[in-house]
Amino acid sequence: MAGRLLLRACTRTLQLRSGVVARPLHRAMVTERGIPTDEEQATGLERRALQALKQGKDPYSILKPQQYAGTKEDPHIVPCIGTKRIVGCLCEEDNTAIVWFWLHEGEAQRCPSCGSHYKLVHHELPH
Amino acid sequence: MAHQAHAYHMVDPSPWPLTGAISALLMTSGLATWWHYKTTTLLFLGTTLLLLTMFQWWRDIIRESTFQGHHSTPVQKGLRYGMVLFITSEVFFFIGFFWAFYHSSLAPAIELGGLWPPTGITPLDPFEVPLLNTAVLLASGVTVTWAHHTIMEGARKPALQSLTLTVLLGLYFTALQAMEYYEAPFTLADGVYGCTFFVATGFHGLHVIIGTTFLMVCLLRHTHYHFTSNHHFGFEAGAWYWHFVDVVWLFLYISIYWWGS
Repeated sequence: MAGRLLLRACTRTLQLRSGVVARPLHRAMVTERGIPTDEEQATGLERRALQALKQGKDPYSILKPQQYAGTKEDPHIVPCIGTKRIVGCLCEEDNTAIVWFWLHEGEAQRCPSCGSHYKLVHHELPH
Repeated sequence: MAHQAHAYHMVDPSPWPLTGAISALLMTSGLATWWHYKTTTLLFLGTTLLLLTMFQWWRDIIRESTFQGHHSTPVQKGLRYGMVLFITSEVFFFIGFFWAFYHSSLAPAIELGGLWPPTGITPLDPFEVPLLNTAVLLASGVTVTWAHHTIMEGARKPALQSLTLTVLLGLYFTALQAMEYYEAPFTLADGVYGCTFFVATGFHGLHVIIGTTFLMVCLLRHTHYHFTSNHHFGFEAGAWYWHFVDVVWLFLYISIYWWGS
């Protein structure tokens, strides 16, 4: 019986796919098969995060931070919603003494201890 | 207005944890007053408050997620961890009762006749209603997995059908088990056999009722278009819980109903 129901459901949806929009005319935001997608229905922060990730942006720092070489050509990019931000540099892996300094907008600065390059980049938060 | 730069959900202040704690206090003291002084007022109050707490707390979670969009991917990941840890704690809860059963049945005391089932106990035939119950729960495991796939594929009607079928099978199990309890030739008071049987299967039955209720809520939410083809963790959590209930039954069936008969 389940097989027959499943078969009926499949043929119904196939009929719908071929252009016959018989079903949910009263609901605009629903695919022909009946269950909405995130694209149609996600809202709030979830939606903003999803849309941004689709455009290759990560305003909510969901992904692992990008790795940079820290050279003049490939400085560490430090996003900032203002004009300056504190940077803590671990010059070498497992260092316990962190080198703290203010990073200002403009030309890339270098860590006073190891010389890695850091560049402040302005970063707008979605509203 | 300042907006958060992280993907986590800082929950607004809520009274439900407090009302939940108060209901726990009222229910425990209510049990004591019921047993000692034969009054059910405190227990009734506590239970009502518990039901109100659960309804409003979970309603708020649905508002925060489906309607306000606070459940980003990292938040969902945390909820998944939470549900897994909770189910794990429930597994340990049942391990205790299986321990009790095996402790008493592997080396039956001389007072029981040195055998298991103890002298005087006629156990239920494992190939009658208990076997049907096993089939019912296994089938419900299939239907809930079917429901999940239909949701992921975006097919509304088959999801409705498979989820409804799962709920019906859950209710059928409860009805069958209730009838078994009524017709059983032994009771909770019948020594360690009755005790281990009814406490283990009784707590399992309670979990079946909880799981069925969870799935009924999922069914209701599905009819109201809450789930998307990609984001339906409420349903997944319910399905995980249901599979857990099914697995516990399989252990109960093999250990208590079959080996223990």
